[in-house]
Amino acid sequence: MSDLEFERRIAAALRAPVPTSQRAKAAIMDRIRTAASDGVRSRPLTFPVGRTTRHSIIGLALAAGIGSITTLSGIESAARQTRDVGVVTSVVIGDSVVDRVRDTLRLVRLIFDDSAAQQVAVVGDFNGWRSEANVMRRDPQSGKWSATLALHDGEHRYAIMVDNTRWAGEPRARAGAANQGYAILHVGRATN
Amino acid sequence: MTDRAIIQQVLAGDVEAFSRLVDRHYDRCARIAVRILGNREDAEEAIQDAFLRAFRALGSYEDREQFAAWLTRILVNQCRTILARVVRREAVFADIDIKDAELFARTDSTNEVWPDLDHALAQLPPEQREAIVLRYSEELTYEEMSRITGAGESALKMRVQRAFTRLRTLLKEVSSV
Repeated sequence: MSDLEFERRIAAALRAPVPTSQRAKAAIMDRIRTAASDGVRSRPLTFPVGRTTRHSIIGLALAAGIGSITTLSGIESAARQTRDVGVVTSVVIGDSVVDRVRDTLRLVRLIFDDSAAQQVAVVGDFNGWRSEANVMRRDPQSGKWSATLALHDGEHRYAIMVDNTRWAGEPRARAGAANQGYAILHVGRATN
Repeated sequence: MTDRAIIQQVLAGDVEAFSRLVDRHYDRCARIAVRILGNREDAEEAIQDAFLRAFRALGSYEDREQFAAWLTRILVNQCRTILARVVRREAVFADIDIKDAELFARTDSTNEVWPDLDHALAQLPPEQREAIVLRYSEELTYEEMSRITGAGESALKMRVQRAFTRLRTLLKEVSSV
């Protein structure tokens, strides 16, 4: 086969349509409608518990602005924290006012409880799932692990990696399986 | 109705109008994402995320750029994110039992025209696969590809050339078995 013929055949194969489904398109519009109605709302999400150990994760989202001019308002804190083993709770407790910053980032603090862990990291689509990017620190008094992330508004997939060898949750689940292998953190203005 | 007119409708509050953009661009996005990611599940996730991000950022969309190109750029970034996640997971769990590892295997061909091509594509470095898909699946110019990928035109030409060379070798190996 000549180079030209090979090129033509490659091009034809790559241009061939792939099977699609109405279900997939409908799923997109479902997410669009949700985003339109409550796209900036934070809500609790379930997180699958690992096979060999149980963890509790307390997600405390501190909404804050990052930029040259930052105003942090409405930190109400602990009164609205909840603790529930195996459940991720993300609560936005304040809004930020940031001028002249096109893309507002919010500080999201995650707290994770696993006394046996030696090293814990947050991995997600915001850091390319790199375990070295957001290493959690252990509080010497409470023994809990925490990390603060700067995130854009929207949905962020993430998981907790323990001792660089296992995920908190179901590690081998296929990507795309709803609520498996990762949790989804919704970041945005408080609406409640 | 043009993409621009539909976008104006959506920005005016008609959320359902966005479904026209989905209908219009979904097949093209599917072709790109499936070829880059190698399987439909990841591709559907990337496409959903891309449309959602486009919807959320619609207010910042600038008319001087084609919506299709803008959406493609978002989609390619989503594909890169998913690829990075898959690679990371494979690295972390490199020592898991082989039966589990098969969960990550790309065993399903999505190409009815040339089934072996998908398997060969999966063996290319991601940047080469991305380049050759954009070049031939979408018939983009190198200038358009550069705007979408952020890579220089020379680098993209090199990637496409190397992808071709590698594919020839891989597909010869398959056909000779």
